[in-house]
Amino acid sequence: MNEQNRVKINKLPTGVPGLDEILGGGLPEFSFNIIAGAPGCGKTTLAHQFIFANATAERPALYFTVLGEPAMKMLRYQQQFSFFDAAKLNNAVRFVNLSQDLVERGLQGVLDEISKRVEAANPSIVVVDSFRTVLRSEMHEGRDMAVQTFVQQLALLLTSWEATTFLIGEYSESELRDNPVFTVSDGLLWLFQQVDRNSVVRKMQVMKLRGQASVPGLHTFRITEDGLQAFSRTLGLVGQRKTFSRVKRLSMGIPALDEMMGGGLPEGDSLLIAGSSGTGKSLIATQFLAAGIRASEPGIAAVFEERPNEYTARASEFGLDLQTPLAEGKLEVIYLRPLDLSVDEMMQEILDAVKRTGAKRLVIDSLAGFEMALAPAFRADFRESLYRMIFALTAIGITILSTLEMPETFTELAFSSYSISFLTDDIIRMRYVEIDGELCQIMMVVKMRRTAHSRDIRKYKITTDGIVVGERLKNYVDLITGIPQPLSVLGSEELLLNRKV
Amino acid sequence: MMRSADNPKIRDLVRRLLVSEEAEASPSQENIQAVSRVCDKLRRPFATLAGVAGFRSLLARALTLAKQESPDLDGWEVKSDGSLEGLKGDAAESGAVLIANLIGLMTTFIGESLTLRLLHDVWPDVLGSEMKFEGNQSK
Repeated sequence: MNEQNRVKINKLPTGVPGLDEILGGGLPEFSFNIIAGAPGCGKTTLAHQFIFANATAERPALYFTVLGEPAMKMLRYQQQFSFFDAAKLNNAVRFVNLSQDLVERGLQGVLDEISKRVEAANPSIVVVDSFRTVLRSEMHEGRDMAVQTFVQQLALLLTSWEATTFLIGEYSESELRDNPVFTVSDGLLWLFQQVDRNSVVRKMQVMKLRGQASVPGLHTFRITEDGLQAFSRTLGLVGQRKTFSRVKRLSMGIPALDEMMGGGLPEGDSLLIAGSSGTGKSLIATQFLAAGIRASEPGIAAVFEERPNEYTARASEFGLDLQTPLAEGKLEVIYLRPLDLSVDEMMQEILDAVKRTGAKRLVIDSLAGFEMALAPAFRADFRESLYRMIFALTAIGITILSTLEMPETFTELAFSSYSISFLTDDIIRMRYVEIDGELCQIMMVVKMRRTAHSRDIRKYKITTDGIVVGERLKNYVDLITGIPQPLSVLGSEELLLNRKV
Repeated sequence: MMRSADNPKIRDLVRRLLVSEEAEASPSQENIQAVSRVCDKLRRPFATLAGVAGFRSLLARALTLAKQESPDLDGWEVKSDGSLEGLKGDAAESGAVLIANLIGLMTTFIGESLTLRLLHDVWPDVLGSEMKFEGNQSK
């Protein structure tokens, strides 16, 4: 069937930030949906957000309550959310209690009352909370057909009357099989609440949605005073990675380092700066941001170990003014350390900041701090989450610099304790070495994807003007072990052996 | 802590509701009938919202609280359908206390805005469009 002949399905905004994107653009109009999950996971709040976002006096929302949570209490608590618009009550949003109808006349009584109310009010939205309570009254042997018939009739009624419907129920996943409610429904949204150590993580899954493509998988959500906020796994950034016809090089703010990198950091790349404590990783990151500001490229610093004012104060010690661009909105310092973050929330924060500032550069300082800020449940998936985040951000043309603290060993040179080097396009390694009885610092460009770079191992110093890169250390071997030896003390045989090895 | 039922605006509203209903009642029992009519008229919209059982439990609580202030209410009971029984004597004052407690409880649970809307739907002439109960705890 061609595009013109297809039935057009309108998509309604859910009123839940992030959820429309997960659903593939909103909730299909006139669909018959189930919101399922354990008690306390946000089912009722989600339904309320939807009705307050969509109901009008002409096409109101009918919210049927049945046994379960007393309507009085539900209203008392729901009024605490910012989306709850008291002006819509009894007008655009109408609550109807069906407890007595269920107790006295069973499923038929409920169906009759819903029919009567729907025909009288002409609602655009109908919610039955809790639907499971309605069915439980008939869920016993020999009544399967009655339940199935009821669900079928209800779906038919509400669809015919052009109502978008939500049935709310405290279901467990084991009930998914052979349940007529799930068979009849067009959409099935499951909310989960997982406790891991001391933190609680909320996730949702669109298990079924007829007529449109939703984003698969589990998505994090949070409940705040504004209600639910969902974070799509992809955050809408599912397109191809942005390609540049001519790769622009971004200055690191350290000319000698730019030179080592073949002219600077390629735009849209992800760079990892790895090194042990005190090697100047954060300083390079700060110089990178400052260079961006000078080049009219706004930036964002996501920091986990110091507050924004501490961050700018530290920069000023090296002659870098980050306070002015911060005040002018050309720089944002995001400080997040709630210890129960999800990567998706962090991503949302960054994306919001990108929209506000038009940022081209992003610093994540540090990955270890980032991991610590995550809820324990998310730490297990840190690598996978980081991959999604880096891919999504570089896809929109953001150039990312992440710092990573590495344990210093004097026998080997590890690139990354997280085994995330494959996630990054470029890697710079910084480390301590002992030379002539002095603790020195060296840096090297270990990897640069798609571009030639210097193979030099160069000494550098941290000065009040920032990082100053020195000359290549030519007269030593085994520099990367941290315990180099001067060429002069090695015999010719040893030198030959070293070269062969 | 001041209860919502003690709010002078609620008390004033209750007085006006009772006056409005007294006009419809028979002269000999105008007080009692007015109290009963106000409760009955409130029962319908509130039962729609929270069920008959919800209204009954709220009225029973309101009666308990009102009895502490007005011993005249001894003998008054709430039936299972949410209507009042056992009304006797001069109910002008005690009935007003009962209804003020009922409206106060409604305000506490479902909020001022929805309570006023329910009342306005029943008595549009008695409630002004701009009316607010100031100083209670509803949102």
